[in-house]
Amino acid sequence: MHVYKSYDKNYILRDLSFNIYKGEFVFITGPSGAGKTTTMKMVIAMEKPTHGQINVFNEDISAIHPKQIPFLRRKIGFVFQDFKLLTNRTVFQNVALGLEISGVSGSIIAKNVTEILKAVELYQKKDEYPLSLSGGEQQRVAIARALVQNPSVLIADEPTGNLDFETASIIIDILKSFNNKGTTMIIATHDKTLIELGRARVIDITKN
Amino acid sequence: MISQKINYLNNYIRIAFLNIKSNIAGNIFALSIMSFSFFIMLFFMLSYVNIYNYMLSFEKNNTMIIFLKNSENSPSLSNRVHPYRITAAGIINKIKKFRGVKKIKYYSNKLSYQFMLKHTPNIRTILAKIKPAYFPRIIKIYFKPDYISKIYLSNIYLRLKSMKNIKFVYYSKLMEDKINQFVFFTKMIGFIVLLFLFISSVFVSYSAIKLIILRKQNDIEILKLIGATNNYIKIPMYIESAMGSVLAFILSLVLLSAVFNIFIYYKFNNFLSFFKINIIFLNNFDILIVFFIALLSGFLGTYFSSRKFF
Repeated sequence: MHVYKSYDKNYILRDLSFNIYKGEFVFITGPSGAGKTTTMKMVIAMEKPTHGQINVFNEDISAIHPKQIPFLRRKIGFVFQDFKLLTNRTVFQNVALGLEISGVSGSIIAKNVTEILKAVELYQKKDEYPLSLSGGEQQRVAIARALVQNPSVLIADEPTGNLDFETASIIIDILKSFNNKGTTMIIATHDKTLIELGRARVIDITKN
Repeated sequence: MISQKINYLNNYIRIAFLNIKSNIAGNIFALSIMSFSFFIMLFFMLSYVNIYNYMLSFEKNNTMIIFLKNSENSPSLSNRVHPYRITAAGIINKIKKFRGVKKIKYYSNKLSYQFMLKHTPNIRTILAKIKPAYFPRIIKIYFKPDYISKIYLSNIYLRLKSMKNIKFVYYSKLMEDKINQFVFFTKMIGFIVLLFLFISSVFVSYSAIKLIILRKQNDIEILKLIGATNNYIKIPMYIESAMGSVLAFILSLVLLSAVFNIFIYYKFNNFLSFFKINIIFLNNFDILIVFFIALLSGFLGTYFSSRKFF
């Protein structure tokens, strides 16, 4: 609420306020440089607001203790525009990362990763390395990694930014299917076609 | 909770092995340098332990050895009583008057020769070529256990040295003092070398882990973004350095043991037995000390290299 963010006295966000409710599918939009990525980063405590308060799961994360940040991030899935996959690990190992970090046993990891890879239709490529996959496949791996821990919220920053229309619609379908299962989806994008595909609430941060 | 900790431990070990695999050349290089450092540490320790052990043998020994002068010209064997026996008997009579003397034993040239033949069988062929007349005449004094104070023995030493026909006087406390000085010197040098090697081991471990952090900075960022704690990233590094240190320590110990067995036991022991030096290997406690130094160097290296990043 009433969030301000500045870098060297240049304000990127001024008095930004919005609410997102449990189970919603929301697009956060605005032109390039409007502060979409910064807003997303603030939600997972990668950045701190200059002023204002950000409440996630009824907790003020603008004042969160650094040691609590990893535990917050485990509850929020994050999908990056540039995928951020580990190139020296297979698709399976990349998806399993989040569960390994949470200390889940090997048998549960195997079961959950297999399920999620089947859901994003990548099970047959589980032993391949990210660099051998197409952009769309890499993004699906990133989505699978974010969703495998069954987070309450999934945040995606320009998830289709580097993808063609057909692949983008596949990604949106996957995100919609998980939203129908109860995951709150927050998608940052400037792509109007994607917003039309999604048919959901839109928050334009330039108007806030 | 316990099963979760076991899962974490499995992950940490697996990641540590992945880290080692990803920088195999760097790790082999670090391992060789650390092994060399630990080998030198162990070698210094072995030297110190043996010198100290040699010194202790003098502490237990409560004797004094007097070397008598031999004449320029060998005495005529036609005499009924050997003149050497007369001078030796005179000295022995004087010694008998000293308080605390338990036993006196006289070794003529011939007896010294026979003693050497008996106790140093390995150089028997060399001894066979030397005339017994060239061997020293020795009087060995055994003191009662109550008379082993340094002041008392040094007093006797000075009195004997002032007597005629006495060439040298040696006693265990004198030797002990001399060796003690050497032990102190070895200890000081050893400490400096140990400190230097310890710092270099820490530096090697520091460099190996820092290299991994720099190479994997992107991966570490990703891991942190998906919820990895600092410990999740750091613990595998500690395990990796601990494994490296332990492996380097084992290698250095095996190497030292091989050197000890090959060179000292089979080659030099014969030579050292001449001086009644009994070479011993490091005991478990000494080995444990170097083991902990090795572990500590690995941990400190990781601590310093990861401190900047987390």
